[in-house]
Amino acid sequence: MSEFHDDYPHYETMYNHDEAHGKKARRTLWNVFWIMLAITIFELIIGSMAPGHGWTGALWLKVLFIGLTVVKAAAIVLWFMHLGHEVKFFKYIILLPYITFILYAVFIILVEGVYSGYPRNVTRVDQIFIDQQKELKNGHHGGGDAHATEAAHSEEHH
Amino acid sequence: MAHVAEFDAKAAWDGGQSPFRVSYGKMMMWFFLVSDALTFGGLLVSYGFIRHKYAEVWPKAENVFTHFPFIEQHLPLAYVGLMTFILIMSSVTMVLAVEAGHRMDRRGVTVWMFWTIVGGAMFVGSQAWEWYHFIVGTHVGGPEGHGGAWRNVWDQAVNNGAGGYVKQVYHGATMAVNEYGVPQFANYFFFITGFHGFHVFSGVIINLTIFLNVLKGTYEKRGHYEMIEKVGLYWHFVDLVWVFVFTFFYLL
Repeated sequence: MSEFHDDYPHYETMYNHDEAHGKKARRTLWNVFWIMLAITIFELIIGSMAPGHGWTGALWLKVLFIGLTVVKAAAIVLWFMHLGHEVKFFKYIILLPYITFILYAVFIILVEGVYSGYPRNVTRVDQIFIDQQKELKNGHHGGGDAHATEAAHSEEHH
Repeated sequence: MAHVAEFDAKAAWDGGQSPFRVSYGKMMMWFFLVSDALTFGGLLVSYGFIRHKYAEVWPKAENVFTHFPFIEQHLPLAYVGLMTFILIMSSVTMVLAVEAGHRMDRRGVTVWMFWTIVGGAMFVGSQAWEWYHFIVGTHVGGPEGHGGAWRNVWDQAVNNGAGGYVKQVYHGATMAVNEYGVPQFANYFFFITGFHGFHVFSGVIINLTIFLNVLKGTYEKRGHYEMIEKVGLYWHFVDLVWVFVFTFFYLL
């Protein structure tokens, strides 16, 4: 059955188990699945209700969605990827670098995001771009870009 | 788990064994996934930054992704909800294949691997469909529809034959123009969902290879199904990334 003929520990077979344990494991996995499905459906309902209720862009909505996403991510990593069953040291070897990165990313995006929003740090090109996009959004024709004068005649063109 | 409890953490570093109690292949798969997660993390951070910067002109996903196959109705986010369901479902079938492998149940592994591959292929197909509709766009197009793009096209006939730029309504999205709003939205959509879709595609190919090995009985002979666990890790990671892409692109 096995190809091993040495004394070295074989971790490949370490998690093998019998039918009784398998039944328990399967029940846990299906429970995790139902929880994840419920969270996703809840997110979709809230997400499609948001525009009608004027929730779009609300801070509590963002925090809620990110929180639920982290819950789902934890469920995948701990149960589906079995990281919850690994040795503590290995768990931290995987998680700590990533948690450090996330914290750094949150820090840098808050600091630099705010910095780039200061009026003196908005470049001329940025401002022209935003103005142009706003104009397009409002449906006003012409103006804003370099070719506006040439394009002025095009109104009757389409 | 019994085998983990027996483990003496201090003696683990004396050599002759893995202090992490995992095989080399599995450990390296985890390390690869950490580095891949950093790549996706970097992309999503960059997306968040640009989105925040152009917040006032950023399109809303529920106005962009409103199509559903065979149903001519306005159904915001319904299709991406289905895609998410398919991917989560295929993640479950994958972990059931891993569990069957732990019991050396060859038939179980075969069945669950098969459904995982089917789910993965369906997801890739759905993504292609989603891209198609995003690229083609709506009949309305341009500013009247979604506040999106004009593009300047040279027309020799205007200005009494001197020629000039003419504004044209644009339909759909490319890297340069986007009918729904700022082109950056399209850039990030194509790049991040494309990068993720490529991961799913590779995952399907890898799963297919391992599936064929299961049919051949390679792992039965080897005495363990750890290979299923390793490709399973990759597959769950793909699902994990989608959970974040789904939140940041479609929900927020």
